[in-house]
Amino acid sequence: MSKVKNAYKEIENVVGSDFITDKDFMKAAYSRNVDPAFPDRWADMIVRPESTEEVSEIVKIANKYKIHMVPRGGGADLVGGSVSEGGILLDLTRMNNILEINETDFYCVVETGITWGNLISQLHDKGLTTGVLGPGSGFSATIGGGLSNSTAGFGSTKYGVVPDICLGVEVVLPNPQGTIIRTGAAANRYAKPFCRYGVAPDFTGLFMGDVGSMGIKTKAFLKLYPETPFKAQRYYMLHRNDYNKVYELMNKLRKEVRDGLHDVLVVPLIVIQLLASMVENKPIKRPRLKGPVFSIMVEAVDERILNVYLEKVNEIMKEEARLFEWQEIDTEATLSKDWKFELKYAYNYFNKYISIAPPKISCTTCHKIPISDLPKIAQLSAEFENKHRNELPLGSISLFATVIFLLPNGNCVIVGGFNADNVDEQREKSMELWHKKLRHQVKYGGVHYWLGEAISQSIVEADAYTPEFITFFKDMKKAVDPNFLLSPKKFHMYSYDHDISTHIVKEKE
Amino acid sequence: MTEFKPKEKYKHLNKLGDIILQCISCGDCREAADYTSEPQKWGVCVARDHTSGFEAFFGRGKMQIIRSLWQGKLELSKDLGEVMYQCPTCNACAETCAYDMDNAAIYEALRAELIDAGCGLEAHVPMNKAMVELLNPYERDNKQKKDWLGKLDFKIKDATKEKVDVLYFVGCTAALTPEIQTVAINTAKVLKKLDIDFSVYGEFEVCCGSVAKRTGDLNVFNSVATKNFELFKKSGVKTIVTSCAGCYRTLKVDYMDYMEDLVIEVLHTIEFIHKIINEQEFQLKHLGITATYHDPCHTGRNVGVKEDINPLYEEPREILRKIVNLVEMKTIKENTKCCGAGGGVKKGFPELALEIAKSRVKEAEDTRAQYLVSICPFCYRNLSDAIEDLNLNMKMVDLMELIYQALS
Repeated sequence: MSKVKNAYKEIENVVGSDFITDKDFMKAAYSRNVDPAFPDRWADMIVRPESTEEVSEIVKIANKYKIHMVPRGGGADLVGGSVSEGGILLDLTRMNNILEINETDFYCVVETGITWGNLISQLHDKGLTTGVLGPGSGFSATIGGGLSNSTAGFGSTKYGVVPDICLGVEVVLPNPQGTIIRTGAAANRYAKPFCRYGVAPDFTGLFMGDVGSMGIKTKAFLKLYPETPFKAQRYYMLHRNDYNKVYELMNKLRKEVRDGLHDVLVVPLIVIQLLASMVENKPIKRPRLKGPVFSIMVEAVDERILNVYLEKVNEIMKEEARLFEWQEIDTEATLSKDWKFELKYAYNYFNKYISIAPPKISCTTCHKIPISDLPKIAQLSAEFENKHRNELPLGSISLFATVIFLLPNGNCVIVGGFNADNVDEQREKSMELWHKKLRHQVKYGGVHYWLGEAISQSIVEADAYTPEFITFFKDMKKAVDPNFLLSPKKFHMYSYDHDISTHIVKEKE
Repeated sequence: MTEFKPKEKYKHLNKLGDIILQCISCGDCREAADYTSEPQKWGVCVARDHTSGFEAFFGRGKMQIIRSLWQGKLELSKDLGEVMYQCPTCNACAETCAYDMDNAAIYEALRAELIDAGCGLEAHVPMNKAMVELLNPYERDNKQKKDWLGKLDFKIKDATKEKVDVLYFVGCTAALTPEIQTVAINTAKVLKKLDIDFSVYGEFEVCCGSVAKRTGDLNVFNSVATKNFELFKKSGVKTIVTSCAGCYRTLKVDYMDYMEDLVIEVLHTIEFIHKIINEQEFQLKHLGITATYHDPCHTGRNVGVKEDINPLYEEPREILRKIVNLVEMKTIKENTKCCGAGGGVKKGFPELALEIAKSRVKEAEDTRAQYLVSICPFCYRNLSDAIEDLNLNMKMVDLMELIYQALS
């Protein structure tokens, strides 16, 4: 029998025959995520473990037969993060229990396969929240995926990115022993998992944003916050399409409204024009669209405080912008006075735009920059687009310096990307341009978050890491994954002997 | 090498066009939960919840399988069929999808491909065969369809002999299942009480073909649909009312072209009666009981999601609020958890159907209601089985039974 067949038999003994499969149609069902720019990839087998102990046993068997593994949460990633060519694909969504909600000490313990939507909906019953609501795919995205991708999402303006709410994790190391460890306060066998720092170095951080390459996270200990009862939403359209002003206003909002800001999102003029052209029920009066729209959500524990925040926001915005309502472009849109918080707004805002007309490839280029760089980056993005317009696949739509999302202190996310027809001829061309754009972003100092395969490789291609850092990175991975079995290909790592500097791309001027 | 031509190979999928490749694989159709939606959403795919849960058991995986077939990377097989048929086609996945997809229609097309390739489910073969040969899927003598009429103390007009505007289309489940004949009996009594001139086909009623359509046996479906078309044409009916959600969806949506040609209006009995009670201000007495209501998929999502037909969520509730203390379950209306019987699951995978129903009945039990009410004999059957299996005191009733009591 082949080693794969042997491993299959042994894993079957661990999880039971119902929870392992190597049938072709099952592999096909797992062959892609929201990442159709990649070719289909079929794992050798797919396993759905139920517990940390089962994961540990699977890891031991994988080590015995030297078969690589890729962990997968909700499978909602856009950058080739959780599919596997050959090897073992670990579908962790069966591990989806909430193990503890500690209402007095404000933390919870969950299995990492639970979705953000499920956790947040259950926390709501107890008047609690995780603050940041997870990624924009939160109805299907899991906690584990959010941690592995250091994701930003709604609530991030106030509460930070997903690892900022993580107090520790339980991880199965991909070593021959299938070692199970806990990090944060939980590393102290006598302590509750109530805080992250102070027991040892911050080993939790080793597993944050690792795109599943350092360990298999099976449980997470997360911060909780009491839900903030009063929320309001306002929109302002800038008088001019001026990113200097966008930066100045973001800076002012951050400085003067501070914790009152739940989310600040800037929707660029081109997107508003696009949306205006797509709506079914257009208004009779032609809208006056002159600049990007600031979408500002504020929250407070008291209605009076909320009103102070709203006044403050208005004071900051009124010189450079006017109040805007989406009804100006869509008669069916809700007025901001009638706005109420909906998870659908947080979780479905981009799904429907990924493939506007079927079927499309999406190549996302979301990344973080310091807000003071906004005007420069907007300019650089426009230049990139002009320079490489001819390389875009025929009929594709590109939005490179698009939606901007404010994070804590001076961070912001620039959401963007381009699409192409989902056909093989356009796939290769798209991949090439995608990597080129990602390298461009890395070189102007952009920092990404979901790295998956496409972005982690592009960082290497851009020669961002020093040789010393690469050695350190490999040494750290070797300590936890001596046989190099977990999530290969990410960061252009194919083995410990492989020289990743061979992937550095010298751009043609 | 011969060129692979998906449009020729998969003619049923091809009819649906580009939409079969629309899925972006976001996975919202797996288990979305949303406390902010109205009504709240607590999960999506009941098949996935009660099986091993691999991707192939819910929408996203099915759509990736279809894409792989279409791109020539995968072949149809019996194994694939075995999994594709463990889906009650409740369309909760379509309800949750950001795109304008009718997932159930796509699954039905895939099932039609499986049937054509000889990869259908063996358990469905006698059922669909009986539909053509005996005119019902229960493999019974169709004459038994008139048995319930003998339990009435009044005569109903025979639609094959007398021309009457309103036809009561009973459906095979209510007509042929002794313990569910009460649905037909109470419907007839209510119609009589409301002074409606109506007729039935009795032993000549032909199955609507719902289960053939859902299981992808289009030859069978077309055979019974053609027979029904001829019957309807000959009878000259103007309105068809049915107390079965499955028949309702089939006559209303799948027969749409036939019905438009014949200018026949299709209504669920609840829709019909709700209108009459309101217009004629019939008084309904309160029965002093507590009840909860289960929305059948075929009067809800399966007509309401993409078909531009108003789903019947409010009509039964408006009546129920007048006659019982209505307490709602955790998942209702478009976010209702399916009972698990549809799409050929009850026949093909009775244990799975029962497990799904048990979980729905537990939701009903949480409301502490004495009665679980619905407007579909097939939901009635599966939910009753679950109540019995769980040994609960709760009683399953069809809304018609309560309306009859409230009118008496």
